[in-house]
Amino acid sequence: MKYPITLRVNDESFELLVEARKPLLHVLRDDLNLTGARRGCESGYCGACTVLLDGQPAHSCSVLAVTAAGKEITTIEGLARDGQLHPLQEAFISEGGIQCGYCSPGFILTAKALLDAEPQPDSSTVREWLKGNICRCTGYAKIVSAVLNAAEKMRAGEGR
Amino acid sequence: MSADFTVVGKPLKRVDSIARATGRITYGVDMKLPGMLHGKILRSEYPHARILHIDYDSALRLPGVKAVVTGADDPGGRFGSRMADQAMMAHEKVRYIGEPMAAVAAVDEETAEEALSLISVEYEPLPAVFDPCEAMKPGAPIIHERMHEYKYWEGWCNPRPGTNIINALVLRKGDVERGFAEAAVVVENTYRTHAIQHVSMEPHACVVQAEADGRVTVWSCTQAPYLLRGSLAAALRIPSSKVRVIATAVGGGYGGKVRLKLEGPAALLSMKTGRPVKMVHTRTEEFIGAVTRHPSVIRMKTGARRDGTLLACRAEVILDTGAYCEAGEVVLWEVVQATPGPYVVPNVWVDGYCVYTNRVSAGPCRGFGWPQVTWASEGQIDALARELKMDSLEIRLKNAFDEGSISASGEVLHSVGFKECLQRVAEAVDWHGRERRPGHGIGLIGFTKMSMPQTASAAFVKLNEDGRIGLMTSAVDLGQGISTALAQIAAEEIGVTLEDIEVAAADTDTTPFDSGAISSRQTFHVGNAVKRAGADLKQQVLAAAATMLEARAEDLEIRQGRVSVRGVPDKSVTLAQIGTATQIRLGQPILGRGAHLDDDIVMPDMATGQSPKPAPYWKYAAQAVEVEVDSETGKVVVQKMVSAHDCGRAINPLSIEGQVQGGAVMGLGFALMEEMIFDEGRVVNPNLMDYRVPTSTDFPDVEAIIVEAPHRDGPFGAKGVGETSTIGAAAAVRSAIADAVEVIINDLPITCEKVLDAIEAQGKEKGLSGS
Repeated sequence: MKYPITLRVNDESFELLVEARKPLLHVLRDDLNLTGARRGCESGYCGACTVLLDGQPAHSCSVLAVTAAGKEITTIEGLARDGQLHPLQEAFISEGGIQCGYCSPGFILTAKALLDAEPQPDSSTVREWLKGNICRCTGYAKIVSAVLNAAEKMRAGEGR
Repeated sequence: MSADFTVVGKPLKRVDSIARATGRITYGVDMKLPGMLHGKILRSEYPHARILHIDYDSALRLPGVKAVVTGADDPGGRFGSRMADQAMMAHEKVRYIGEPMAAVAAVDEETAEEALSLISVEYEPLPAVFDPCEAMKPGAPIIHERMHEYKYWEGWCNPRPGTNIINALVLRKGDVERGFAEAAVVVENTYRTHAIQHVSMEPHACVVQAEADGRVTVWSCTQAPYLLRGSLAAALRIPSSKVRVIATAVGGGYGGKVRLKLEGPAALLSMKTGRPVKMVHTRTEEFIGAVTRHPSVIRMKTGARRDGTLLACRAEVILDTGAYCEAGEVVLWEVVQATPGPYVVPNVWVDGYCVYTNRVSAGPCRGFGWPQVTWASEGQIDALARELKMDSLEIRLKNAFDEGSISASGEVLHSVGFKECLQRVAEAVDWHGRERRPGHGIGLIGFTKMSMPQTASAAFVKLNEDGRIGLMTSAVDLGQGISTALAQIAAEEIGVTLEDIEVAAADTDTTPFDSGAISSRQTFHVGNAVKRAGADLKQQVLAAAATMLEARAEDLEIRQGRVSVRGVPDKSVTLAQIGTATQIRLGQPILGRGAHLDDDIVMPDMATGQSPKPAPYWKYAAQAVEVEVDSETGKVVVQKMVSAHDCGRAINPLSIEGQVQGGAVMGLGFALMEEMIFDEGRVVNPNLMDYRVPTSTDFPDVEAIIVEAPHRDGPFGAKGVGETSTIGAAAAVRSAIADAVEVIINDLPITCEKVLDAIEAQGKEKGLSGS
């Protein structure tokens, strides 16, 4: 059975008719063409599909789209503003935190939630926050340093 | 060291990093075409069975289903790496649980999935074999009865029809028995390694469109577009240029996306429906229907003099390739060349076997057999050091390959940075001054890997009318940063900045031939091709500028996008002026061409394995690991890891560090966490809950050390590093555990249970000897 819902994604509203059982991930990818939310394991273990729901990281493969109605959904496509990358995106690039890039949106969004909650995390806090996201390329060292580097820049008032 | 260069040797940002950081890059799973159907595969439920009948009438009647194909629709062409043993869909029989038997195309994935449940298959089960040693024995069930009909490359394969041995190779040097007779100590052990999955975060994915004119266009997250094109054309029995492979971005490969997989069934479905068909593996299918690392059993006997000088090594290497070769024949070929490791050993006897069993095929997997032989060879060096009461760094340095060393295959080695790797990791862990306390240990090991021979690369570079450079190769950036490295090489050679280079994605209709992102070869092979193409372009640019400036070409130089007469800077033209003039006015567009062939390779003699030049180049590395072992639980905690790699010349140090760190953590996963568990050929943990890969809290930051021993044949001296990074971790962890609690684990993976059992067994032994 399909239900009419309104999803708020990256500050835009979308009127949709979706099956009750359809995960948010598939609605984002198939209906809204927001493919930055990745299809990784589709069972909530890899974090590639991470988006922010009201600022909190969530595995969009494990959230039904109908239950996301009324929430502010942020995907990686919504992070850069006015052509300006988010400091986390900048740091992931400059620190070498991105290799194949498939997991990067999930890491960057999880890290954003972390820095919004805790602007001055230490490296073990960063590692703890990121453990729900799998990266098979980097070995995590450069991802952790990218988050710490972005935190420092954001505290210094550079970027958001 | 890189002071003479302006672009090469710099830790520059990736050319494609903004697209990746913003999520605006198209991977295979993101492809969408108008009218596209979705395909799903019906996979075998039996490890070995004859297919008596497949009934798919009710699947076809399901609304939304557009076509079903089975082995009967497969034109029957076989494909493989050096051994063509595989078809796109099972014919007559299945050889592993997970083998494609039928495929459905429907309007969406859910309908296709539902249709699979409506297909019924009648099987006649056959006796199956799951252990490679059992599979080698006379009387074992034969998995490929028609092995004698398979086509293969001479010099690479030595199949034994009528058995399950698809490749049997040897290496012979000196008199191994005399070596053992002269040895003061001889150690002999059996080593086992297990299957792991690559776990690329992006699963295999493709879209295939069979065109009306008989051409087939494929969008795939492949690591090797031209190899995919060749395999698909062979399978479909059409000329290879009728297939066009367009490479999408790749969300991780590590060897898992080299071979033809989903593209075959998708092509058959597209031919039947006339519509583009998309296929994406589920995570479960990645485990049961893609490829794994080769499990191995290696018996090794090694002898040395009292002073630690190695005298002889005798080894039997058995690789379990599963139901199909998937390059297992090449994995064996490589590792037989240097089974004893990167050490001078005067007497060597290696027998290598690549064996079929009834489980999902093993294939290329980052390290390509070298983690397995390194597990054995470094275990032997450690065992000798213990017997001789020698320092394990000292025994390695004593025997380590150096400039001019002669390898087991008879090659005189050059550009060898191995000793420096060993010394640098030793310094990083303060080897000689290290703290010694129970439960704490450091392991330090070394290793090598070749880059596979008989591959080729070509490159085009064109001068655009705006003066910028288009770089066209069929290299694939899996995340290792090859696009950036190639752009750096082109920029350095031509004399422009990195920003002046546009890197095109591989497309077999337009970008030139390449053997692909395999064997850590792209920096070396494609890099050389790009460098030569850059030199060719430069020559053409100077010739055109000479005409325009009425000067002699040899008096001109390119600097910052401008060609000027040396010493007369105001007599100049810009590259944009040259690009415009040559393309539009002069009608002689500038296109530089370059290639790299392994034309000095001598294929090893099949009777002895001897060759003066079996490989384009060898990589050398050393790793050290520091662990804490809890003797009550057997838990091993890695506290530090250092990894040093001789990369010839670091084209982009930031990317190389990333490779070294990422590969090391993948290696630690192989050592301590990951294992595909099989029950009668069935993978029992095909998901990321039951198969755990390292996350951010499992291991510490890896310290990457770059060693540069410039290679005389590499572009600016560079060679590859991507796979080497993974190889040694398991052996280093074993050494560290031995250092900490004096137990030796030779059977991977190293689980808490194994460590605890070994500690308890050792306690009993000590108790017995004490009483």
